[in-house]
Amino acid sequence: MHANPHAPLHAAIPAAAASSAAAPANAAATDLERALTRALRASDPTLSRFNPLSRILFVNDFDNGTNGWCELSGNHDNNLDSLRARARDLRPPQLSSLTFFDTGTHGSIDGNYALKLATRPVRNHMAQAIKRFTYVARGPVQFEMYFTFKAETIFNQPRVGERAWDGNYHPSAAQFGDFTISNDVGEGENGERYHCALRYLNTDHEGRLVQQWQYKTSVQPTTMMERTGLAPSPVDYHVCKPEDWEPVPGGHQPLCYNEIPTKSNWHYLRWVFDTRTRRNTELQVNDLVMDLRELPVPRYDHPYWGCERLLNFCLDVRTHTEVRNFLWVDSVVASVDW
Amino acid sequence: MRRFFTAVLEQGNTFTADTATEPYEVGWASEARWFVRALALDGDTEIEATPELSPDGLVWCEDGTPPLRVSARTPALVTAEQRGFGNWLRLNIRLTGGAPRAKVIVYLALKE
Repeated sequence: MHANPHAPLHAAIPAAAASSAAAPANAAATDLERALTRALRASDPTLSRFNPLSRILFVNDFDNGTNGWCELSGNHDNNLDSLRARARDLRPPQLSSLTFFDTGTHGSIDGNYALKLATRPVRNHMAQAIKRFTYVARGPVQFEMYFTFKAETIFNQPRVGERAWDGNYHPSAAQFGDFTISNDVGEGENGERYHCALRYLNTDHEGRLVQQWQYKTSVQPTTMMERTGLAPSPVDYHVCKPEDWEPVPGGHQPLCYNEIPTKSNWHYLRWVFDTRTRRNTELQVNDLVMDLRELPVPRYDHPYWGCERLLNFCLDVRTHTEVRNFLWVDSVVASVDW
Repeated sequence: MRRFFTAVLEQGNTFTADTATEPYEVGWASEARWFVRALALDGDTEIEATPELSPDGLVWCEDGTPPLRVSARTPALVTAEQRGFGNWLRLNIRLTGGAPRAKVIVYLALKE
């Protein structure tokens, strides 16, 4: 299994049988099932890189296609002019071979392809992909992925006001803005709706390296909120005001840039949220584990029709400059404990 | 089953000057077909959309595929197949007319 230096707050492969306390024979059978599950997963080269909960919802290796990850779109009345500004032009994801001008094809962990989200070369532009699900039961949901990120290579890098290339530091490191993992959970018309969102802020909007995980403090304005005047069109897709983010305690984390924009090093990420507590639980990125249980997740104060048991997973990347930003995902595993 | 993916590279965006679609990676596909649909063309606006290739997504060249043309005199939806490509495709879009203005959807349909 994936080497995890920290004990997860939700143990991997918990008891699958509800009657585990009923009798010793049942407990032994459950232990056996757990051990067998662990062994079978460990023998699978893809799954052994992950640490899923008892029931796997999906395993997406992007060598096998886009696996249901598609461009997010806002709501409309079949007229694209009705799309709100922040929920349009979020770009189709790409099956990327990570092909660069200097060394050609980089490839992914296994095989050739990874899912790529790419912004336009427009300041504040965001690309977002979504995978749409519903849930069977409330409880912990774990999302794991291997990812890498870069700003696009631009020839004749500007030097004015920037830290120059010195053979180790590359100015493109400060041209990558941020990326965010998020969900969309709807309990139904008589329940709650909320988005958990965790952002890796690589730079501030002046191009200074921040390298900090953040959580959001306001709801994501929706099409209905904009149309009914509850919220103006936001600058930042995820929040009402751009400043509605707080640093995750202990969440400063330089990631592996590896010196130039055409070297791609894969990072492990494991995010757990709990649809029972309606909170984030924890975020692990490589060897850093952040306890998120005490951090609030904003909820809407009004109901949404037609979002019964909604469970969506989202990934996005945003540039802060006129340089394209890319987020690549090699593979994803989502799991639950029901 | 062969893998398939349609990318909407322009989602009803309005242009008043020449542009190009964003670079798109297609190395996994053996077939690529462009669709350009004009949702609105002001006055005598004409669209000339030329398929292009790139080795790196940064520098582009034409491959000889004839340009797609859309105007008031053509159907609103036109299509062209691009063959023999590598990893990167885009459409180079030129607008002509007095005060050109075009609202377009551009699809790239890809098949393994």
